[in-house]
Amino acid sequence: MFQVIIAIVVIVFFLAKLFWQKNKKAISIGEFYFWLIFWLASLVLVVFLKQLDAFVSSLGFSVPAIQVAAYLAIAVLFYLIFRVRLKLEKTQEDLTKLNEALTKLVKK
Amino acid sequence: MQITIIIPAYNEARWIKKVVEEVRAAGFQTVVVDDCSKDETAALAESAGAAVLRHVINRGQGAALRTGTNWALENGAEIVVHFDADGQFRVSDIERLVKPLAAHEAEVVFGSRFLDNTTKLPWSKKNLIMPLARLANKILFDAELTDPQSGFRAFTADVGREIKWRQDRMAHASEILGEITRRRLRVVEVPITVVYHEFGQGFSGGFKILRDIFIKKLS
Repeated sequence: MFQVIIAIVVIVFFLAKLFWQKNKKAISIGEFYFWLIFWLASLVLVVFLKQLDAFVSSLGFSVPAIQVAAYLAIAVLFYLIFRVRLKLEKTQEDLTKLNEALTKLVKK
Repeated sequence: MQITIIIPAYNEARWIKKVVEEVRAAGFQTVVVDDCSKDETAALAESAGAAVLRHVINRGQGAALRTGTNWALENGAEIVVHFDADGQFRVSDIERLVKPLAAHEAEVVFGSRFLDNTTKLPWSKKNLIMPLARLANKILFDAELTDPQSGFRAFTADVGREIKWRQDRMAHASEILGEITRRRLRVVEVPITVVYHEFGQGFSGGFKILRDIFIKKLS
């Protein structure tokens, strides 16, 4: 029970921080909703852990719900790294275009 | 006919003056794209009489070739030739590449190290790396040329405006080949001789090229 309370306190802290960042317009609306869903999902996971264990078990998993969540989190992280890599590629292309334009400008 | 030789260069102070002097002595307009070298490459190229474009930051050979090609096309080039700065290509081979273009027999000409036996390639490069590169080009781009990574190429101004390569680093050679194959341009290969001062790209270079092609295809 103590662990659940600690987890809830941490999640509430991050939710509060998220709303504070939104009010200060430090993050975009898309980012706000992404993290809001993430922390709310975490809250549901922590509060309804036993029910989720039963649900995960009914789906045929032989591990607890928290472990399934950890596996999913790793998969999501890999996907996000991949997205960042593609974004980086686009930035590199833009950088090269800028470099070419600047090079020609200096030549003129 | 205005023939412009594009020479991308990065830290090539050792060779660039000699290369530029030889190319200019053969009567070609010479453009050196200095890819933000740390040495005297740009100054030496300029002193040898080349038009020098200086990248503000290092972006790789593919990017330097793009800068030089675009600049040449904007400045009236009718034929563009890609050449190396390290003194490994022979200036006398430029005529061989230009001839089929001037005679309208081709739109693109590639120099090939494999059409005669004048180039002494390291064994692993000739028998392992190049066959694998050929296979990769066939699978990825449906391109079939005897020299899968030839950096010595010439094309008409129309082709220069038509083909677009996005690879900034060494994968540009495969990408250009793919672009040319995809557009079904008239291609001719001519024999060239390459005198190696260093080994060049090995297996790790090949993997980097494949990785870059893969990422670029997804982006």
